[in-house]
Order: sequence, then structure tokens, then C-alpha cells
Amino acid sequence: MQLRWRLGEKIMAFPKEVYSILEDIVGHEYISADPVICEGYRAGPAGYECGLGYERVMTRVPGCVVMPRTTEEVQKIVKVCNRYKIPYVPYSTGFYGARSHPHVENALLIDLKRMNDLEIDEKHLYAVVGPGVIYSQLQEEAMKRGMYTVIGGGGSQCSAIANMIGDGWSPLSHRIGLPHRRILGAELVLPDGELLRLGSLALQDDPFWGEGIGPDLRGLLRGYTGHRGFLGIVTKMAIKLLPFQPEKLEPTGVSPNTALMLPEKRVKWINFTMPSFESIKKAMYEIAKAEIGAAVTRVPLFWRIIARAGSKEEFWELWSKENEETVNAFFVLRVLLIGFTSEKQLEYEERVLMDIVKELGGEPRRTRPTDESWFKNADSAGMWLMCGGYVSVDYVIETIEHATAQCKNFAELKRSYTPPLMPDYADPGWFQCFELGHQGYSEFLIYWDPDEDTTRVDHFYLETAKENIRKRFYTALLGSHQPLYLTGPAYGPNYHKWLLKIKKEFDPNFVCHPPFPLSHDFFVEQAEWMKPLKDWGSPNLNEILPKEIAALMKTSSQSKEK
Amino acid sequence: MPKKTVSLDVTNLENFIYDMSRCIKCKGCTWVDHIYMPGIKFSTRCPSATRYLFDSYGAYGKMRIGLALAEGRIQYNDKLLHILYACTLCGACDVGCKRNLDLEIELTLEALRVKAVKDGKAPLPQHRRVVQNIMAQHNSFGASPEKRRNWLPQEIEPSQKAEVLYFAGCSASYRNSEIAQATVKILDVAGVPFTLLEEEWCCGNILYSIGMIDEARKIAQRNIEEVRRNGAGILLTSCAECYRMWKVDYPKMLNIATADLGFKVLHLTEYVYELINKGLLKLTKPLSLRVTYHDACSLSRLSEPWIPWQGERGLWGVTSPPIPRRRGTNGVYEEPRRILQSIPGIEFVEMIRKRENAFCCGAGRGVKEAFPDFAAWAAEERLKEFKEVGAEVLVVACPWCKNNFSEVIKTKGEKIKVLDISEIIADAIAMEVR
Amino acid sequence: MKKLIANIKSKITEIKMNLIGEELIKIVGSENFSADTSVLEKYSRDYSLSPPGRPNYVVWPRNAEEISRILELANKYQIPVIPVSSRVHFYGATIPKQGGIIIDLSRHMNRILEVDELNRRVRIEAGVTWKQLVEELKKRGFRIIMPLLPHPERSVVTDFLEREVPTNTVYDYGEPLQSMEVVWPTGEIFRTGSASVPGYPDSPSRGANPAGPGIDFYRFLQGAQGTMGIVTWANLKIEYLPKIDKILLAPVKDLSYIIEFLYRILRLRIGQECLLLNRINLAIILSEGIDQDFEKLRSLLPPWTLVLVLSGLQRRPEEKIQYEEEALRNIVKNEFREVQLGESLLGVLGAGKKLLKLLREPWPKETYWKHLYKGGCASVFFITKPVLAPKFISKTQEVAAKHGYLPEEIGMYIQPIEHNRACHLELNFFYDPKDLDDVEKVRGLCRALYPILLNEGAFFTRPYGELAKLVYERAGSYASILRRLKNIFDPNNIMNPGNLCF
Repeated sequence: MQLRWRLGEKIMAFPKEVYSILEDIVGHEYISADPVICEGYRAGPAGYECGLGYERVMTRVPGCVVMPRTTEEVQKIVKVCNRYKIPYVPYSTGFYGARSHPHVENALLIDLKRMNDLEIDEKHLYAVVGPGVIYSQLQEEAMKRGMYTVIGGGGSQCSAIANMIGDGWSPLSHRIGLPHRRILGAELVLPDGELLRLGSLALQDDPFWGEGIGPDLRGLLRGYTGHRGFLGIVTKMAIKLLPFQPEKLEPTGVSPNTALMLPEKRVKWINFTMPSFESIKKAMYEIAKAEIGAAVTRVPLFWRIIARAGSKEEFWELWSKENEETVNAFFVLRVLLIGFTSEKQLEYEERVLMDIVKELGGEPRRTRPTDESWFKNADSAGMWLMCGGYVSVDYVIETIEHATAQCKNFAELKRSYTPPLMPDYADPGWFQCFELGHQGYSEFLIYWDPDEDTTRVDHFYLETAKENIRKRFYTALLGSHQPLYLTGPAYGPNYHKWLLKIKKEFDPNFVCHPPFPLSHDFFVEQAEWMKPLKDWGSPNLNEILPKEIAALMKTSSQSKEK
Repeated sequence: MPKKTVSLDVTNLENFIYDMSRCIKCKGCTWVDHIYMPGIKFSTRCPSATRYLFDSYGAYGKMRIGLALAEGRIQYNDKLLHILYACTLCGACDVGCKRNLDLEIELTLEALRVKAVKDGKAPLPQHRRVVQNIMAQHNSFGASPEKRRNWLPQEIEPSQKAEVLYFAGCSASYRNSEIAQATVKILDVAGVPFTLLEEEWCCGNILYSIGMIDEARKIAQRNIEEVRRNGAGILLTSCAECYRMWKVDYPKMLNIATADLGFKVLHLTEYVYELINKGLLKLTKPLSLRVTYHDACSLSRLSEPWIPWQGERGLWGVTSPPIPRRRGTNGVYEEPRRILQSIPGIEFVEMIRKRENAFCCGAGRGVKEAFPDFAAWAAEERLKEFKEVGAEVLVVACPWCKNNFSEVIKTKGEKIKVLDISEIIADAIAMEVR
Repeated sequence: MKKLIANIKSKITEIKMNLIGEELIKIVGSENFSADTSVLEKYSRDYSLSPPGRPNYVVWPRNAEEISRILELANKYQIPVIPVSSRVHFYGATIPKQGGIIIDLSRHMNRILEVDELNRRVRIEAGVTWKQLVEELKKRGFRIIMPLLPHPERSVVTDFLEREVPTNTVYDYGEPLQSMEVVWPTGEIFRTGSASVPGYPDSPSRGANPAGPGIDFYRFLQGAQGTMGIVTWANLKIEYLPKIDKILLAPVKDLSYIIEFLYRILRLRIGQECLLLNRINLAIILSEGIDQDFEKLRSLLPPWTLVLVLSGLQRRPEEKIQYEEEALRNIVKNEFREVQLGESLLGVLGAGKKLLKLLREPWPKETYWKHLYKGGCASVFFITKPVLAPKFISKTQEVAAKHGYLPEEIGMYIQPIEHNRACHLELNFFYDPKDLDDVEKVRGLCRALYPILLNEGAFFTRPYGELAKLVYERAGSYASILRRLKNIFDPNNIMNPGNLCF
């Protein structure tokens, strides 16, 4: 085995020998190590969580890009990477931002967009997709057949598989809750190249069912949130579709004002003005108790302004007229009703809903009979319009109580980091009902101008993790999203030890997306401005990483841009 | 950060650093608008990204490459030039991005080509011939300028002076006389006098499109002067590319607004629609055809009038005064459709990707000249869609589209008929059967 | 010499075993320890056809810390442990395969820790039984979705960990399990999901999220038959008891036809509980006694019966039933004329009312329903697509006949899952456990049936006993990765070895 990296040596190019083996696997049209091609795969400077320290310090342009078409090709590629100790990163759309991109020099980026087959079993309510299929494609095919899927908050442009093993929630999760439940049979190419067929695929070719034979190895696919690709590559997945209703949601309008026209007797959004934050919570509990609705969400004032504004400039003009008072006096509840069974069902649910809202002192508002966002979730890219930088710094799926308790706490914490964070006048964020009220979901989005000094945004991000531990909140951003050695000892406790053992077992060469799951730990070590925040233990890298990867991380850190 | 002075001037790539550095890889530039997403098939509207697959070929890749070029982090090579030029500048990316983000993608791509020319790396060898043709013979084909008016039917006489000046364009003059002939026939039947330029030159589309802005500007100045001298109030064209050049890129190059040209620029479909509404044209002859319509990029997405802008950009990227955004909303979408739907006997079906989601035919902006395989591929992709909707006739509004589709149809031996909308309109008012 | 060595070895073992016993007593106290043959004997067999296996000790720990120490001990001495939470067992998973220590949670760790009505959640220890839980919830107007007629003395947590299929088809989020506390085979106490926050339950986190932290530990514990760790308590979703229930029954002659009907109506989110039972199973369930009205019921009941419960919930309950009934009526009228859905079953008085009560509670009688007929029952069950059920049934009848088992004696149960996207298909073979020939007949029949069903595409997600070996042989890759994972949590393979593929 050729030792490719030596300490301090600047790496010039992706190894030719490996390139030609990979070229044999995929064909010359589907591989490139050209620096221009690779530059096109750069994470930043903009994107999810980009324009921040993490992206600047941790991400690299790949040394080579390869585009396989089949699971067999993926396996072969991964085995080559193991043999030649080539770090690789699975990549579907790259939309997740920094953490979906290589973090070491000369990594192989495995672009999965050609794996875009889609099949639907209409009778049994599922679709089988490859990682190249995005949600809006899947949703349309599902809706054509009287079904629908939940498109994660990331948006219609996300790879359905990547989102299903990463995040995967939206207001439409009201009835089904966690995306974990929607994963049926799947194929996972483990980091060492072995193929794990999950669910019914373990025994046959029809992925109609997801449970394991005995213990369920779907547990390897993700945690609360995903691995960002450090535990292998999902090359196929059967995804549950949900029964919908038969009327068409007609697309209307011309860009940028496109929307789905709703067949109002079967699909209807209703906005309500409520008297208080508490009453919105109560409404959620009551709606859930009544087991009605298809989406129930609070609308922060911020969103309403975004929807009204025709441009960034118009947004700021409108937003600057608001203040803490107006923000905290804006209580809008938005409920989606779907007449799954019949028109009469929708009418019934509407009566129940009106009963509830009336009891709580709310009132319906005029609501457009369209959906701009959630069914197709075509709007998520708009999150960057206002400021240019955006990340969801935290999200909570727990009880409605917990989800909303964190809202206020978070809003307070955010104050002292504004600026550079966008002024949001202590808006407690948005939250929704989840899993018919057994859970609530709240999310905290932060925005900044990437041209400004973003040191404090990096600090805030980390401070959130510490606050969660202090306040005993259950945060989504564990695993690779925050320093593993900070969150690990606190949650479980010591979930990180198990995670690293699993990682070591299935990726003994540590070639699958290094240095995940320790990426945020590395970031804190390498970024001078983060060091003052470090008050927790460090991983013993020599124990965890093979020496080649440890050396690579060291070399990478030396060649990083400040 | 202090405010920056910015303008929409494509001769300076610095003006688009912001746009290149704010791309989030949402691929709104590549996918059909998600609201209109038709499913697993026909789901993209960027021919380059669809054909070449690497991220680098989509606008989201090009923005990163452009930024690297601007910041000196990357060198020109064949791949980079291929990425810049195997692209029809169809505007799908621009419109797609502006659904949510308002980045000036199209202008950035134009600016990159201008820079490539300035840096001596472009035009490509494959462009040299057409450049020479335009510079020397004032037409794309290198044909004799004296023969430019040969298309004019004997029975129709242009006036010396008229409100309407018909600009035939190179294609209609030399390759697609049926389009020019149909156009003037329509004017004739409607009783609309028209004039022609004494010496019609190429609009300069290819030159501008490949980044030769100085040469294109000279042509623009000359051409505008000719029209002003002529005194016509309307410049009418039946070619989408010429239309876009006159209406958008001429003012852009001269840093004036479309409204300040001194004359209106109209495509035949806009004008015919007006004529019908005024009762001056009646499309009464029934045509028993099942047709679909292909939106030409330059007539639709890219056709909104140009407004020059200069200002400052500050915190959060807010511009002042606010940049007037051209998002493709008010392209010429409705008029061709209304015209077709008004003809008795015509059964009109939409393409799956329509209006601002249309998939470019692949011919425009230097692609046909430099990468004929790619142009053919794009046309073939679009024809697959045509077959899916089960129409008999593909109606287009640009000779570039017509020719590119026709060539592929011929090569593949397909039984598909392509007609320019001028021909259909002319048929619907003509007495004799075609 | 050999004899001497054997004697020495035997003596060493004896000393070791005594030492272990002493250490166990130190951990749990002598009143919670036993090595008595009569006690050990009780754990060495169960209602399954699995061969007996005797443990060496039984302990009844009081809390997770004691369990942790027991496991540390087990690792030190490399002695197996077998976790037990229920008082009855049907599948052989708790019969020690290699001796060891039975860790029985049912005596002390059987508290209902929290009933969180606001968030519709309950936190219970592993020893809590169906009887306990259903009674407590009923008092408060709640219920939990349930498998069909669970044994009152079974552990609720274990049954859900083992993925017993609920009779309710209408919730998209079928799984009631949320976060848990587990003692890993290494002895470490760990909380999964949102119970993993520091200081839980003294935290804003209520334990309502099963996922994470970092990786989905809860999945590894599901279907594990106690081989991956010992769950001490779990959070589970609970639901309100409907205000009104209306049970509808339909006689079924043509199974394929009714299955098509279910594809149609369940997709419209009609119904709460929905299931299909064949003649003999329903006769057993409804009868007052085998020697009373069982035979009469058998003669009156149709080959299959569809059971469909419509429920009115907390608000405007009558209106909900109304719109569901209307939708049902329209479909029957326009598309499925042969379906005769009604509130009663011809000739069987009070069947509906009886069934409705049965469906909402654990089995009420002393003898479990599956054992009422002959005393013993071997159940073969798997997940499949509903449209394939008739094919599996006819294959089963073929094989049964070859083994001298009359097809009409086979109990059958089809449980649609989540809008009928799949179903649990269960075949019950009744036998007299005292009649060795009968036992062998059924054992032989099952052995012959498994490979045939597997070949036809039956997906066995819960393979117990000897079926496990057969299934894992065919899913060799899955098995080998499973072993690699287990090795991380249980490097000494002490956690209930001899089950699944371990």
C-alpha cells in the first residue's frame, strides 16, 4: 500500500492509478479530476451553513468526481477507496451545504445523481427511488396516483433519500411524525463496501417492508438527524407514501408567483388569528386530541412578511417597520385540512376546528385557496433571500411543551448575538404539531450577512449546544453537527462512544467522509476564534483514526484557508 | 462592511461577485419550477446540466467556477471554456433562481463570456467562421448581402416609409424564407404597410452571445441609428433571437432603457395579437391540426424590457435604489397561445414543460456553431416531450428553433411536422390550401 | 487421569457457580435470588415447541443499577443472561439455550411511572402487564393501540419491542414506542431518544422522541428477543378512548374479494380496528367454552369474518361515524355489492358487542384463547402484501394436509397494517401438548411449511426458535452484519445467546 500522505507535503493531484481503475468502473464520461469540474463542486461560499467558519475552515474541493449508475458500481468504487485509502464523500444534491462536501484534500466525491430511478407500487403505497430522485419528482408521481409524501423542510430540491436519512419533517408530518417511520426496504453500501440490504430486501427483491429480521439495522441509517454520509451510502430506498385524496392540485401562476390551486372541498388551508402564544399551543393540543388536520403550524410574523415581500429590498422595508411588540402580538395559527375520506370528512373536521378555535378566542382569517410551499415545498430556497446566510441552528421534536419551552429560551439567547444575526425582535420562532400531538416540532432559523464578521455566529451555534445541555433540552443537532465530545458525555450518557465504535467497526479505514463524526470537534481545534469556547474533552485521535487519516487531517488543517 | 457601488454592466465581472458568491446550490436553475414539476420525466430545464451531468455545468456550478476565475483561483482550460460555452444562455437558470433568490445568473454568464473574450481565451475556434461572416458579410451564413432581400415575394411591396419596419433577420432572409414571406403576407392581408431597412445587417446576436461585446455594440449602434433614421415607430421581427437582441441586449450594451430606443420592438406574435384584437386580422380558415407550442427562450423568459441600473449594495445585500428585477414573468407567453387557440379546428395541447419552464431547443447563442452535437441532443430531448403529448405539429416562433428541430427530425427519420407560427397564422387567413 | 481432570474441572465449575451465586445475592439480596430446581424449572420451558433449557440462577432485580451490576458480573464470568419481563411466553425466546442467569423484571420492575395525559404518553417499566396498563388507562379515559387479544400477563414493553402488530390500521405513526432506558450487555445504563438528556425525567424533555441520540439505538432493540440489551422502562404513545364505537361485521366467503375491499376502504382512512379472522379462530374467541357453544359457532360462522370498528372521537363523535358510514355505503353500493357489512353476524347473537370489548382489552380468561381449543398452539406469522394472502393460505393448507392436519382446523388471522399497505398473516396450528404424536405432527408441519413460505416470499420479521436459523441462512449478509453490530454491544456474547443468529 502506497503511503500517499506525508506530514506537511502538499498534495498535488488525485492518484492516476486510482483514477483509471475508477474510470474502468463508471466509464470515462462519468469521471473527472479536472480542477474546473472539481471547483464546481465547492461547498461555499453560499449555501446551507455556508459563509461561516465551519465551511471556510473545513471544506475542500474534491480531487475527483465520479458518477456511478448502479449499486454494484458504488460498491466497487467504495472497495477501491478502501484498498487505496482514498477518502470519499457520498453526494446527492449537495444542498445540505458544508457538511455534505469533502473535508480533506483530494477526496473522491461520489455524485449519485445518475441513480434516479423511480418506481411506484400504487396498491401498496410506496415508491422505490435512487438517491438522484428529488422530492418534487416523487411528490408529483405520488399525487398523480392519489397519494402524497411529506417533503422535508429542506425543500423540494432535496434528494428524497438524503433527506429521509437526514432530516425529513415538515408541517405535513402532523399525522405521521418522524421520517424514520417512512423508510421501508433499503440498500446501504457500508463504508467497507459490503452491501447491507434492509427490510424485506434482506430476503427478496421487493422492498415493501422495512423492519429487520429480528433487530432492525435501519438503525444504522441515521439518528435523530443524519450522519451526513459517514456510515455508508444508501443506493436505493422504498419510501412510504400516504393516502391522499383524488382531486388534482393544479399548478398556477408564472414565476416567481407559482402556486398550487387547492380543490377546496378536499384540501384547504385556514389561517386563524389567535389571542396569544399559549392559545396557539392549546389549539394544537386540542386539534391533536380531536385527531383532525393534516398540518397545524404557527406562522411567525417573519414568514408573513417574506410571503408579502416581492424582493429582498421590499422585505427589509416591511420588516424594519416591525418591532418586538408587533412580533410578539402576532399570533397566527395555520391549519391544513384534507378530506381523505370524502368532502364530508373535510366539512366535519372544519366544524371541529372552528369549535376549538372559538373556544380559545381565535378567529378565522381570509386564506388563499393555494399552497405555495408545503405540498411541493418550492419555497425553501427563499430562506436565503433576506440576508444571504442561513442555517437552522437547532430543532426540537419532543412534546409540544418541550418544543415551545425551548422557543422562548432560544429567543433570549439569540438576543446577545444580534448583530451579527439578523434582527428578529425576539421572535420565538415557528413550531408545529407533530405526530397528532404526541410531539411538537420547533425550529430555530438564523440569518446573517456572510460579508460581515461571522465569528459570533460560529460562537452562537456552539453556545446553543451548551445551552441545550445546561437546560436539558433534546436537540436535533447532536452527532456530527456539534462537537461530539461535548454532546457525547451529556446525552445517553456517552452515546458518542457507541457511535464511534460502530463507525470503527464498519469503516475500519475511516475513508467514508472523514473526519465525521468528529468534524465539529476538528473545527473547534482548528479555528482560533473557537478555541476560547472549548471547555470539554478532546478525542484521542490516535485511538480513533487510522494514522493515514490523522495525518491527512493534519495536512488539511495546514493548507486551510483562513 | 462598507457599501459597494455596483451596476448591471456585463463588461465588469466584479459587478456579479455578489451573485456568484450567493448561490446556495438549490438547483432552481436546473429543475423545472417545483410547482410545475411533471414527475420523474422531463424534470429539468437546463440542457447543459441535463446533458453533461457534472454540477459544474449547471448554473450552480458555473457560479462557483466564475467566482474562482474572478478571484484568480483557477485558470482557463478547455473544460472551463466548454462549460462556459456549451450553454444556450436560455435563461432557465435566471428565471429559476429568481423564483426564490433573485441572483442575476444570466448577466453573470454573459459577463463571464465577455471576460473570456477580453482575456483572449474566446471566441472558440468553432465560432471563428460565423464571426467572420457577420463582420464581413453582415450575416451569419457568409452569404451575399445583395441576396438578402431575395425572399420578398413579388406581389408584396414594402413602403418607403411606414410605422412598421420589418426586420427579417439572417435566418428568415437566407434559410427560412417561408417565415419572412408568411410575415409580410400577414401584414399585407391586415392592410398594414411596412418598410424594410435599406441595408439590413445581422442583429449581432452571435457576437454578443459569445462575449464579443465591443463588436456587437458597434453593430447595435449602427442598427439603431438606421432604424431611427428610417423613422419607423415599430421594429417588427419574427425571430426570437433578433427580438431579444433589439429589445434587451441593444439597450443593455448602450446603457439605456428599452423605452429609450426611440421605437417599439415587437415580435410577430405580439403584433398579430394586437391586430386580432383590433379586428384587423381574422383567423377564420379552419385548420384541422393537433398542435403544441414550443416557447422560444428569447421570446419568453428573456424578453422583458431592459432597465439599466447602477447603485449601491450594503448590509444584507440590500441594493439602493432597488435593482429592477427581470424575472421572466412578463414574457410573451400568452399571445402565441391565444392566437393558436383562436384558430378554428386547431386542437391545442401544451408541452409538458411550458412557458418559463420550457426546455431550450439547443440552437441559440453560439451553441449550434460550436457544439452541434449538443444542439442536436437538446432538440431530441425536446422532441421526446413532443411525442409524449401526442401532438401532430410542433409550432415554434423562431427560425433557430425551427431549423434545429427540423434537422434532428430529418436525421432521425421522425414523422414530426415543425411549423413557424407565422406559417400557421398565414394559413389561417389564406384562401388556398397549403 | 482423565477422570481426575474431569473431576477437577467439575469442582472448579462448582466453585465458580457458587461464587457467582454469592455475588448475585450481594447485588439483589437473597430474597431476590434463587437457584432452586423447582424455580429454575419454571423458566426452562414455555408454551412454544422449543426444547427446554434450564438456567443456573434466577434473580429479580429492583432497578437498573442492580441489572447493571449483574451484567458486569456476567461479563466477568462469561455467563449468559436471559432478560424476562412477562409472566407467560409463547415463542421460546426466554428459554435459556446455554444456561445462565434469568433476570426477571416482572416482580419488582413493574411500575407505571408516569401517565402524561397532556402529551398522550405513558412511561412504564418492562414488567408492566397489559392487564395493569389497560386498566389504568381506562380509568383515565385512555387506551393504547394493541395487538390482537394480548395475554394479560405479557409485558407491554416486550410485546411492542417484539413488534406485535396492532389491530388499529388508521394511525400513520403505527409504532407506539418512544424513548427507553436500556442496560447494554456491557452493563452500561443508557437512555435512548429524548430520554437521553441529562437528568431525565427531571427535564423539559418528556421522552416523547424515540430517535437518536447520534444513531437510532431503539431500532437495534426492536425484534431483538432480548439479545441486544435489557430495557428497563419505555415511553409509549397512548390514545383517547373513542366516545362512540360502532362495530361492523361482514361474512366472507371470497377472501380475495374482501381483501380488494380493504384496499379500497382502508386507504380512505376509514375505521379504527380492522381485521380478518377465520371461522375456527373467531369461534374460539367468541365461545363461552370449547365444550359449550364452540362447535355451534363453528357451524354458524362464515369461512372468514371481517371486523371493522368505526369510532367517533373526542369531538362531534356522531358526525365522524356518519361520514365514514356514508363513504362505506357508497363504496359497497357502487363497487363492492357482495360485501354485507352489518352490525350483527347472522345467527351469532351479540358477536359485535363481545368483540368490541375483547378488542380493547387483554384476553379476559384464565386460559389464553390460543390454548382453549386443544391446549397448545404453534403460530406461524409473517408480513406480506395483502393481495398475496390467499396464495400463502392455500400453500399452507396443502402442506397441512400432507402432514395429516385438517385444513379447517388451521386458525387464520389477517391483520391489515397502516391503510392496508401490508399485512400480518398468522396461521395457528392447535395441538394437544400432552399428546406427543400431535406435538410431533405440528412440529413437522411447521418445519415443512417454513421453507415453502420463505420461497413464496413470506417476510419473517420475527423469527423465533428454529425458524430463525432457516431465515438467517437465506439472509446471510444481514445476519453477518447483525453479528458485527451485536459484537459491539455484547463483545462476550452473554446477552441471551442461542437466539436469532447469535
